[in-house]
Amino acid sequence: MTSILALETPRDWMLVAAAATVAAPLLGGGLAAAGVASRSPRLLVMVSSGISLVASLVIAGAWAVSDGTPVGFGEAIGDGRLVFIDGLTAALLPYVALISIAILLVAPRRSLDRAAVRRALLGLAATLAVFLTSHPLALIALWIATAQPTWRATRVTPGGRPAARVYAIYTTLAIACMAAGTLMLVADPPWERLSGMVGTTGGWLVAIAVMIRKGIVPFHSWYPALFSGAPMSTALAATMPQVASYTAVRLLVGHADGVAVELEVLAVLALVTAVYGAALALVQRDLRGFIGTFAMSQSAIVLAGLSGRLPMELNGAFCIWISSGLAITGIGLVTWALESRAGDISLETLQGRFWDAPELAAFFLLFGLAAIGLPGTLSFVADDLIVSGSLDDHLSAGLMVIGSTVLCGIAVMRCWFHVFGGPSPVDSPRHAILGREKVPLTILIGTLFVLGIWPGPLVQSLERAAEGVLRATGADGSTPDQPGPHGAVQDRLRHEIPDSRLHAP
Amino acid sequence: MTGHDLISSLVIVQLAAPATALAVIGLPALLGRPLDERTTTRLVGAGFAAGFLAAVSTLVILAARDFRPEIVDGVTWFAVGHHEATIHLVADALSVPYVCFTSGLIWLVNAFAGKYLHREPGFTRFFILLALFGTGMNLMVLADSIDVLFAGWECVGISSALLIGFFHERGNAVRAALRAFTTYRICDVGILVASVVIHRAVGSGDFDRVFGTNWPHGTCLVPATTATVICLLLVFAALGKTAQVPFSGWLPRAMEGPTPSSAIFYGALSIHAGAYVLLRCEALLDQAPLARAALIVIGSGTALHAAFVGKAQTDLKSMLAYASMTQASLILVEIGLGWRVIPLMHVIGHAIVRSLQILRSPSALHDRNELDAALGGHPGPGGLWPVSLMPARWQQAIYRVALDRGYEEMVIGRFIVGPVLRLLDAAATAEKRWIRWLSGESLGGER
Repeated sequence: MTSILALETPRDWMLVAAAATVAAPLLGGGLAAAGVASRSPRLLVMVSSGISLVASLVIAGAWAVSDGTPVGFGEAIGDGRLVFIDGLTAALLPYVALISIAILLVAPRRSLDRAAVRRALLGLAATLAVFLTSHPLALIALWIATAQPTWRATRVTPGGRPAARVYAIYTTLAIACMAAGTLMLVADPPWERLSGMVGTTGGWLVAIAVMIRKGIVPFHSWYPALFSGAPMSTALAATMPQVASYTAVRLLVGHADGVAVELEVLAVLALVTAVYGAALALVQRDLRGFIGTFAMSQSAIVLAGLSGRLPMELNGAFCIWISSGLAITGIGLVTWALESRAGDISLETLQGRFWDAPELAAFFLLFGLAAIGLPGTLSFVADDLIVSGSLDDHLSAGLMVIGSTVLCGIAVMRCWFHVFGGPSPVDSPRHAILGREKVPLTILIGTLFVLGIWPGPLVQSLERAAEGVLRATGADGSTPDQPGPHGAVQDRLRHEIPDSRLHAP
Repeated sequence: MTGHDLISSLVIVQLAAPATALAVIGLPALLGRPLDERTTTRLVGAGFAAGFLAAVSTLVILAARDFRPEIVDGVTWFAVGHHEATIHLVADALSVPYVCFTSGLIWLVNAFAGKYLHREPGFTRFFILLALFGTGMNLMVLADSIDVLFAGWECVGISSALLIGFFHERGNAVRAALRAFTTYRICDVGILVASVVIHRAVGSGDFDRVFGTNWPHGTCLVPATTATVICLLLVFAALGKTAQVPFSGWLPRAMEGPTPSSAIFYGALSIHAGAYVLLRCEALLDQAPLARAALIVIGSGTALHAAFVGKAQTDLKSMLAYASMTQASLILVEIGLGWRVIPLMHVIGHAIVRSLQILRSPSALHDRNELDAALGGHPGPGGLWPVSLMPARWQQAIYRVALDRGYEEMVIGRFIVGPVLRLLDAAATAEKRWIRWLSGESLGGER
């Protein structure tokens, strides 16, 4: 304890910042529940999520100056630690905090009632906690903690009950599979004699849980449904952090050396989802439907990339994770701002919204182009990495990613032209962009361009993270352990990280 | 400073000057404080003027060195593992004259557009897109790797589509822009897959590992089969930008954009982007007779189609669009025949003439009325039109076919686009039914 408070090493800084990252929104949620700051809810959410963002940046900074050794703290199962910080955590925590603060900043006043603030902050705390752990049982608990606010926020929205019901059905199934699968793995570890069938089943159940939570075909229907029926803030907060991708990294990735059939199947289905989602986005009749299917396609590419055996493929997947998340969050926030002015937006005819909101039109276009690989944005780098990484082993995957990108590009431009093109409605309101909309949108698009023009530090950091993930599990050939007969998850659980590579308290 | 260093600096200026102009006018506009019209025009003009002067200087130096190509090692964008994304550029007998021509033309059109679009609500937007186009064009032309070339190619395609839809309050302009972008995007598959094939074949996207960059006497460094595959993919990519059958429908509609952008995009630069890419890879084409045959067949067919359909057009810009299509097709035929310098000269000559015609088109009606007044009546049709020698019934049928643009779009719409969209619609409907069944009611409501 003394050494932590003394903050002598990057590890101390990381652990303290990790606590602050989760505690700030947790405390904020508690204060909101107690009715504190009920007159200025935006201030409360800004302070809470702002502290999380700063603390997550401290973790990223401390990781950058550390020697690259993962930091573990607390109880362990296999190599899963209650608090676990590596390169991936250091890169993704600021990303999750940034999109969360952007969502909360753009939220209209009527969306920030006491209950909504409480749900949003507690959901944020749970989501950030997911990215700070690799403990299988903690992940189960946090899956439940992140799903509950989403379901509740959707259910209390007028007209949102059908979407809440669909979400509840799929998420309950996912959590059940995740819990059963993980418990079977823990109960039937492959290193014991006569174990096998239970463990293998557990591995597949975890893979199915990831598929459902990620909206992978054939378990994808809840994804666009949530965007259609839930508040935009809820849909974005539930999907953009990609809790299931993180779970896949911690429990499945790195075992594609002929063992993780689960991951191979996941990758194939993810590629199908990427193309199918992009194709569906082409024919959507309303803006929310477009965002739902488009987001489903983009997030599926992340899971496809995670099946790679090369650090570059994982690196590409991590980059798409961040770039598509920032871009789709931006598109979603612009949509939210438009809806607050003009109600639901159809894509069946030209809506002519350009003169109502030219700045929002510009932001929508930039975010859309940033999502489909405009040169100079992070997604161009991500596409380059994932296609280059797939050249040796997964050429067909690279070609499917190209197909998906092409379809997504057409879908984005169709959407932009349909929303903003056409004669301006006579009775349309003329509202300038608000400061609370402009600032987060500018920061998001600026981040995408800065990371696209100067991607070196980010991709190198993610490369270290990818190498770390693969090395920790032996997929890069550096660990001589023979893979077990039960599938990826058991192998993962079996493999203890040597003390020399893990700082334990 | 050595000759290599000097050329490198000048090449970087050719790229950096328009890119800087783009950033300087784009950032304030994004922050809601666009620059005034005069400053905007001057900044963009200065960017392309600097690019033009740098290109002319490079051309003079290269000419003095017998056009020996110079590879400019640009910055390493990022490097991970064994993968290094470096911006390689090339200054040779193809790229430098082409940059002189593109930068010079954009500089002139910029001056024209400053007056033409005075007080137009989208004034700044036009110049941002023009600067993006010019930067992308120069990047594409100077690229010494397929990756850099693709980055420029994308900028050209996006800016092109957005300028077609510049008058976004007009439904036709928006639909035309979307059609152009869709065509571009489908054909982009060719260049993307070509990039994958090149990387897989030589482990890098650099052209100097695929063919010797001594244009126009390059040597192919990959097996003939690989060269054929790459060339066929590049031909497919070129079909979209060059508006070849069956991807020609977007070009006449592209004239919905402002006249200056129509002149520079569809009369001069964008329409020849495909031809440029094929000229750049001429060494591969030498080893790919199948791709050359495809170019000759498609180019000849499109030239006939465009000449035939163009005769029946009832407005000047559409006639000019089909005239552009005819010449672009002939340029592809010339490339297919294995010529190198002739198509380059054809590109430059055609681009200059066509831009002038399109820029003059808004005042053509006025000129025509003046001519009629001076002559005391309508001068009547000029020249011999062979169809007039046919029976009247045939003339009507031929005229109808030409007016319907050879039924090209109807066939594609009915047999390809229509079925695909119906299939996707059916899938989307099935998804909604499933959700309705699962939830017991339809989605949506007050949010």
